[in-house]
Amino acid sequence: MSLFAAMQTGNPLGQLATAVVLGALAIYWLLPKPRGRSIAIGTFAAIASAVVLVSWVVRRFGDPAPDLVGNILFWLFSAGAVGFGTIFVCQRNPGRGAIAFAFVILSVCGLFLLLAAPFLMAATIVIYAGAIIVTFLFVLMLSHADGPTDENDRTREPMLGSLAGFAFLGLVLFALYQSSPAAANDTNDPEYVLPARPVSGEERAALLEIAEQLGEVTKLQDKDAILEKTKLMRDRIAEIVGVPPTSVDAVAAPTKRKSIPDRLALLTDPRSMATKTLGEEIRQMNGKAFNALENNLLSKANPSATDIQKSTEALPALREKLIYLAGRGELPARNVANIGYVLYSEYLLAVEMAGTILLVATIGTVAIATRKRVSA
Amino acid sequence: MISVWHYLAVAAVLFALGLIGFLTRRNLITMFLSAELMLQGVVLNLLAFSRFHANLSGQAFALFVVTVAACEAGIAMALFIVLYRRNKSLDASVWQSNREAGVPSSVDADALPTVAAEGADDPKLQPAGAKPQEPARV
Repeated sequence: MSLFAAMQTGNPLGQLATAVVLGALAIYWLLPKPRGRSIAIGTFAAIASAVVLVSWVVRRFGDPAPDLVGNILFWLFSAGAVGFGTIFVCQRNPGRGAIAFAFVILSVCGLFLLLAAPFLMAATIVIYAGAIIVTFLFVLMLSHADGPTDENDRTREPMLGSLAGFAFLGLVLFALYQSSPAAANDTNDPEYVLPARPVSGEERAALLEIAEQLGEVTKLQDKDAILEKTKLMRDRIAEIVGVPPTSVDAVAAPTKRKSIPDRLALLTDPRSMATKTLGEEIRQMNGKAFNALENNLLSKANPSATDIQKSTEALPALREKLIYLAGRGELPARNVANIGYVLYSEYLLAVEMAGTILLVATIGTVAIATRKRVSA
Repeated sequence: MISVWHYLAVAAVLFALGLIGFLTRRNLITMFLSAELMLQGVVLNLLAFSRFHANLSGQAFALFVVTVAACEAGIAMALFIVLYRRNKSLDASVWQSNREAGVPSSVDADALPTVAAEGADDPKLQPAGAKPQEPARV
């Protein structure tokens, strides 16, 4: 219990160091050796290291509470990848190691799918299915599994090797931590943080919700219902895209959070600039559309159907722009088509070079493996 | 919300495991698969950043990584065949005579546990006739 207590309150670096040392010891105990191999102790240390590491990741990089299905899949696939990877590295029998490696590939392909890369997932499964079958062939052909052998039952420098690997892991995770929002919150120094996504998840959800409500408003024919529906909408949009600098509201109510165009003001890459321009357009349209709506509806006690239609005619355009903005920062939906487009437009030379490398490798393989006929 | 850092952490763990496997294991096939494990960690990094920046360049790069991995696999397997023909072993330490001058050789201190071979007590048949002379093939 004291281990968990230390994890809750202990300092983050000590926790990371604990995980790293436990992991190194676990792999040390699990690696095949003629003497001093203990699968029980090694497994226990591996599980302890994984628990400390997961707790560190959750505490440092945030606990992903919403999006239950995505979370379960993420943890399942990453646990699969790391667990089978450990089994693969510590497996004595190369054939069983290849099976564990196949499971690592399957888990990693699940993660690819979660990262919106279905084409790469399918390609990896197809390629590695072939690769692993070839590996099996080689294991069957070249390994003589009668009794212990030097290559399978011995390990080169198990202690130094696992320490080096886990020292590397600790350093990488520490560097990741320094670039994460968690570190920026700890030190109040935003300089370290990676550039954020142009539209955050909360903003995207809010934008899509507002767009849906706007779609409903354009179908309404009743003045009071329209006013009721649109009462808070202008402020909600202004909260996300801000208000024009010239408007009265800009001085009266400075926004608490930075709006999308303000956040992107200093970035100069084309995508950020396009998003910023879109945000500024919405900023202008927001004021105009709702001013027109209020002017048309409030000036008359009983507005006619044409007045109502006129008052809401700017809303569909605004709704469309909101949906566009919500889609910024997401990968395009047609994955295969867009990868093909990127490959054959931006990376044409690289595609040619990859093809050349494959050809050279094929020729090289044939040249290396050919049995040389020595005339004796 | 699963952030990009969660994926980067998983990728770092995969890379570290592959690194350990490559540094410590002595079976050439296992070493090769460890290198592939490291490549998977790298590809996971690329895809995580591709998603994070909403930019397909990461996925295109991952495709090139897979291409290079395929080339590596082909050449590695051909090399294994050649090495195996020379020494009839997949042990990488067999080739330590090629190490740099001044580097001490690694010696296996502990003896391997001996396992009684199956069928050691089986009756043996007396070979009859001359053994055909055939060159050893792999």
